[in-house]
Amino acid sequence: MELFAISLSDPASYWRPFGPDSWFFVSYPNLIMIVIMLVLFVLALVLPFPGGKDES
Amino acid sequence: MSRESRKARNAFYARPWTGPNRHYDILKEGAIALGVVTILVVALSALFSSPDDPALTFKGWAADAPDNFYSVMVSELAGTSGTATYGPPYNEGDGVSLGPLTLQKWGGVTHPVDSANDFVITPLSSQVEPNDVSAALKTWNAASADQQLKWAGDYDAAVQATADDNGDLHLDAVATGDYGPVPDLAKGALAMGTSGAYDNALTGQGQFFQTDQTKQLLLMGDGSYMDDRATELNLQGNTWGMMNEAGSWPGQQWLAFTSVWYQLPWFNAADDATGITRTLTDNADVIIAAILVLLLVTFTFTPFIPGLRDLPRWIPLHRLVWKDYYKKHGRQTS
Repeated sequence: MELFAISLSDPASYWRPFGPDSWFFVSYPNLIMIVIMLVLFVLALVLPFPGGKDES
Repeated sequence: MSRESRKARNAFYARPWTGPNRHYDILKEGAIALGVVTILVVALSALFSSPDDPALTFKGWAADAPDNFYSVMVSELAGTSGTATYGPPYNEGDGVSLGPLTLQKWGGVTHPVDSANDFVITPLSSQVEPNDVSAALKTWNAASADQQLKWAGDYDAAVQATADDNGDLHLDAVATGDYGPVPDLAKGALAMGTSGAYDNALTGQGQFFQTDQTKQLLLMGDGSYMDDRATELNLQGNTWGMMNEAGSWPGQQWLAFTSVWYQLPWFNAADDATGITRTLTDNADVIIAAILVLLLVTFTFTPFIPGLRDLPRWIPLHRLVWKDYYKKHGRQTS
């Protein structure tokens, strides 16, 4: 299995949109997950639900 | 409720279903879900591995930072370490407070820790020691508490006085003085740490099955070894640490709501800061906990709070969720 493994052991890099001294920063792995969650939320809103329409 | 009305209510709920039926195979759906999740787990594990950092040990600390290990042992004997001065629940003191509410003190000492005995004397006494360390133990145990504190306090001050501008200690430059058995005790503890015996001595206290790691964590937290490792891995509280994972893995994004408060400058005052920022930083944990409780109560009572309860009218996201309903019924609400 180790032959396939991608090393993620090193500390993550950070996104610092307001400069290096700002208190706001987020690691890229967390940022990717947050973006994925937002995309899924938007898709759940706009895509039609499979299996037919709401019968109410 | 009378017996008749209860019977009528039960009969009402027990009516047979007369609406439409749809075939649904829960076993089939469960089997498909299990299969998909299994394939995903195996494939992603093979591709990305998992965080597997080895646990920090006292042996590693003693080998990597022996001067720090040695000086922490001295501070535990002197009662000046972070643990010894922490306050409840480990020892007497005030601890953090929320204004006039001394919450930590009210909690009381429920998990007493005697730093000198628990971290130094008891581990040293648990194994056969070289002659100089055995003699130091006898001298320490025979001395009065005041004498012990005088020896350890003086030696602790002398050790800390050797710190340079970077905070690094120079133990070969400690001023000579009457420190009693303290240097030999610290030397013995360092030897135990270096050999790996200290790890077993501390985890072996008390019960056969050891699940309480409080003392190990407290002692390691008194030194720089765990702190430096946490800084290296971006796990410190003021670097969004509770949201991060070791390595480049995504962490606990759902803790952003809590973590964000620890990033604000008001709760990160410099060591020499005074005034309100000093107070806020020193009591950050309890103040932030109070803020979160306040927000939680506010959200819980949203339906009763004018303005907050009107947000769905101003931001009608729910119409997007139930768009079919609103397409059919327009803006009517019933």
